[in-house]
Amino acid sequence: MKEKIHYSTPEAYFENLRARLQAIPAKERAGRPTAVQKVAPYIALAATFAIAFVLGGIILNKTAAPSDGQASDEEIIEYLISSDVSTLQLVDYLSYNE
Amino acid sequence: MSAEETFREIVDKYSERLYWHVRSLTGSHDDTDDLLQDIFLKIWKALPSFRGDSGLFTWVWRIATNEALGFLRKKKVRAALRFESLDARAERVIDSDPWFDGDSAQRKLAVAVSHLPSKQRSVFCMRYFEELSYSQIAEITGTSEGALKASYFHASQKIRDEIGDFD
Repeated sequence: MKEKIHYSTPEAYFENLRARLQAIPAKERAGRPTAVQKVAPYIALAATFAIAFVLGGIILNKTAAPSDGQASDEEIIEYLISSDVSTLQLVDYLSYNE
Repeated sequence: MSAEETFREIVDKYSERLYWHVRSLTGSHDDTDDLLQDIFLKIWKALPSFRGDSGLFTWVWRIATNEALGFLRKKKVRAALRFESLDARAERVIDSDPWFDGDSAQRKLAVAVSHLPSKQRSVFCMRYFEELSYSQIAEITGTSEGALKASYFHASQKIRDEIGDFD
């Protein structure tokens, strides 16, 4: 091939090239991330979302308009259905508070 | 034999020959030097998946040829984006290359080869400079021997049209 191709190389190029190429596996091993280094970015991302979620909750909680303390009829009915208050107790309570 | 020992063997056995293979495709010493680093890194990474279905030579040459063709494609796109003629650039590279030691006829051949489309160039270089058989080139490129013969014929014809007889 060299007879037909008329290119040359710097002095001692191939010795130098071989040495550089032989060093590839060692370089790759040194640069390969550990298992912890591999998952670290994902943990950081998850932590960022968690912090944003908590901070968002705190901010919303503080800035949300306070309710007027009055429950609607629907809310009272829902509560009574889900609680163990009997009709008799309810009637007693209402007649006592009249 | 461990992967590292196999890799060392590939470097010892093929690095110099692979240099001339890639150099015949790129024409530039600096580009070839950069590409060889990438090629051998790919070989190292792909070594665990090498099953020996094809011979080691074929496998290594396939990786190197694909890498070199990818490089030439990117170079072509970059030149197009700069509205630059790749042919004129190739001539400048050869003229300013301190590592070209051919006479004027050989310079003309190098320039004519650089004018070939990259795939045709790879077939021409493997056949003409490296003197690989069509069956070897077929294994490397995954192309039929018939198509390779046609490609080599067209490449030779283009070179003859440009510089005359070159054999």
